[in-house]
Amino acid sequence: MKRAILVVVVALALLVPATAGAHPLGNFSVNHLVTVSVSSDRVDLRYTLDQAEIPTFQERDLPRNQVLAHKQAEVKRALHLTVNGHAVPLVQGLGKLSAPPGQGGLPLTRVELPLSAAVHNPRSVRVDDETFPDRVGWKAVVAEPGKGTAVRSTAPSGDPTDGLRHYPQDMLSSPLAERTATLTVTPGTGTLTAPRAVGGSTTTDRSGDGFAGVFADAAAGKGALLLLILTAFAWGAVHALSPGHGKTMVAAYLVGTRGTAKHALGLGATVTITHTIGVFALGLVALLLAQFILPEQLYPWLSLVSALLVLGIGASVLRSRLRARKRGHGHHHHQHHHHEHEAPSKKTILALGASAGLLPCPSALVVLLAALASHQIPLGIGLILVFSLGLAATLTCLGLLVVYAQRLSARLRVPGRITALVPVLSSLGIVAIGVVMTAKAVPQLA
Amino acid sequence: MTMVATKRLRSGILLLASAATMAFVATFAVLTLVNSGSGPAPERQLDGAAPARTTDGQIKQLQAQVREAPKQAGLWAELGETYLQKVRETGDASFYTRADGVLQRALALEPQGLEGLVGAGTLALARHDFSGGLRYGLAAHRVAPRLARPLGVIVDAQVELGRYGDAARTLQRMVDLQPDLASYARISYFRELHGDLGGALYAMRLAVSAGGGAPENVAYVQTLLGNLLFERGSLRAARAAYEQAIARFPNYVPAGAGLAKVDAADGRFESAIRRLRNAVARLPLPEYVVALGETEQAAGRATDARRDLALVGAEEKLLRASGVNTDVDLALFEANHGSPARAVTLARRAWAQAPSVRSADALGWALTRSGHPAAGLRWAKRALRLGSVDPTFLYHAGMTAQAAGRTSLARAWLRKSVANNPRFSPLYAPRAQAALR
Repeated sequence: MKRAILVVVVALALLVPATAGAHPLGNFSVNHLVTVSVSSDRVDLRYTLDQAEIPTFQERDLPRNQVLAHKQAEVKRALHLTVNGHAVPLVQGLGKLSAPPGQGGLPLTRVELPLSAAVHNPRSVRVDDETFPDRVGWKAVVAEPGKGTAVRSTAPSGDPTDGLRHYPQDMLSSPLAERTATLTVTPGTGTLTAPRAVGGSTTTDRSGDGFAGVFADAAAGKGALLLLILTAFAWGAVHALSPGHGKTMVAAYLVGTRGTAKHALGLGATVTITHTIGVFALGLVALLLAQFILPEQLYPWLSLVSALLVLGIGASVLRSRLRARKRGHGHHHHQHHHHEHEAPSKKTILALGASAGLLPCPSALVVLLAALASHQIPLGIGLILVFSLGLAATLTCLGLLVVYAQRLSARLRVPGRITALVPVLSSLGIVAIGVVMTAKAVPQLA
Repeated sequence: MTMVATKRLRSGILLLASAATMAFVATFAVLTLVNSGSGPAPERQLDGAAPARTTDGQIKQLQAQVREAPKQAGLWAELGETYLQKVRETGDASFYTRADGVLQRALALEPQGLEGLVGAGTLALARHDFSGGLRYGLAAHRVAPRLARPLGVIVDAQVELGRYGDAARTLQRMVDLQPDLASYARISYFRELHGDLGGALYAMRLAVSAGGGAPENVAYVQTLLGNLLFERGSLRAARAAYEQAIARFPNYVPAGAGLAKVDAADGRFESAIRRLRNAVARLPLPEYVVALGETEQAAGRATDARRDLALVGAEEKLLRASGVNTDVDLALFEANHGSPARAVTLARRAWAQAPSVRSADALGWALTRSGHPAAGLRWAKRALRLGSVDPTFLYHAGMTAQAAGRTSLARAWLRKSVANNPRFSPLYAPRAQAALR
């Protein structure tokens, strides 16, 4: 056949998608996407294939199940999972094949294939997608959050193609040609840190609890708003019960002082405000300083600061109570007087609330970032506020419970000696909590 | 007492607060240092860090530069031309769409920008819009009359539009301005069209040794050199040229198809079919699909041939759906393997758009196959008017003359078609030999 092609002219008219109906990546492209999520005991992958008209036509004589079998064999041959440096076999789930309509009355081929592997204590996970070598098309590996892990991924967390259904047409970026992903895994609460996807905007994804899901629903207009607000509140309340939110400390402090309902409420308000501010501050760090620092790197340090704050509070409260006790012994012998020496000071309440609210809940941060990305900022801020209120509500209830329990015990006329010891013991308790928190926070820094 | 405790507490909190602030500052400093060091950082390499020597590297760099300076028409145009180079290397059509958008932006920013005009001209030629290519080329030439690159666009368009006299003058000016790979390769093609195989080979060798540009550009002229050597019947030299092209640009599809041609000429059909299958899998241009089908036919695998050739029919459907219906290769495919009537329609359109000897050859052969050898003969003569020794042109002309009852003319053309390379095609060379017996 005669060529009419000079150096700069390539007669690839076939390749020119001139109309909107054409496959955006060309009529002979083979596009594939691997989604990977690492949980503490398993790795889940989803392989999606979108094959354009010409390669589909070339398989027209084969029955569908055989086409699917061919694709499965190709995936088995060339999709590799390495965990902690060792190759791990992948178990293929039930594959799905469909034939969406393409251009010129010709069908396309679409395959979705779930895969998984049981793993033990994954620390590093690598995915290599060597399927369909040398074929033109969109090739991407995308990370998703798993369960019980904190994952840092080289692959982006967002898929701008919606599972290879439409492709970004940005003329300043090339179609993705990503065939590998390396993920660093530590135990965690289902967080994921990954680079920004091309054409997408996700940076950090869903965390362990359902608060982020509440925002997703609200943003999508699903469900009644009131119900969603109540759910966000409930998530906050539940979240306060998870470790590290200073419940014991709050209780210990209020036990040792003549706390009133007013103090408990003040404490709740402080927690709400600090937590909300903390989320926004961390969100700002995530947005503006993302190049230098990752929010999840900041967490251990925040834990440490919070722990030191508690330790400090404990120490100073202990010291002042010891002194108060000494002086109490020296001048007064009336068993009821020592309570009046020390009503909780506003400053201490503030410091306590701050230490409880300082550690922003990851899912609240996710909601903030998602709200920014989807331009639903008022909704996001509102939900975070409600979430923090829920958080505070639990702590306040706890505080009130302690306050009333104390009054009750006062009526029971407990022997004076024990009652006199309570403030000191409770401040010792705060110190102990501070020590434990610090001890927990320090190893995370490594 | 309470006052004292509160005061102490206050100073304690102050102390703690300042300690916390210091911890934060230290954290930033440490983490910034840690992050700038090694470790599996999740961010991928920065755009500028990719090696700029490869086409992908160049694309990345230019994309970043354009984002930085979106008002610079020259950068947009350069990116457009690099996208076109990417299509040449991979056949990835999505880069055509991108090139189109980018070049339009360049021309919107600077309607008389040289690079934008050259890029738009190149894209128009690739889309077989030869008059559009000529317009852009001439506009670019007016902007920079002393530059060779606009002349290259003009020559290509003139050759495809059948304006061979104009093309010769443009080509002379081009090579005078800049004797390089681009101008030598065009001279070679021009000489080949005029039947000067020796001169064409000489010019193509100059193009190869001039080198330059992307590795793919050199691989491309090496492949063209292989094609010329094959046409002259130097099978071993042709094979070497194709292999050099592949050594320079691994998996280069046009060179792989060239090797298949040599294999088929050597009677090694299995190897030829394997190479062509590989080529078709990666770049299913009708040209390669037809070569595959015809080699299978020659090897006696009629079922495979029919099956594979049907793909060209599907491609035609896709082209029609995209509004393209003028391809010469498709006209020849219909004439040989499909509906000759449809071939005539396609070839007439091709001639209307690009009145070149190639279109004339396709139209003549389509007319002959659809039962009009007398009309076909007139077009066959037009196809050979420059003195071309292209074996396919000569084979078509010879068979046409035979069908028209012009036996001596037919024998002369058929003999000429197999004179240089007696095995120029696995399917048609034996037919030419048979007709001569």
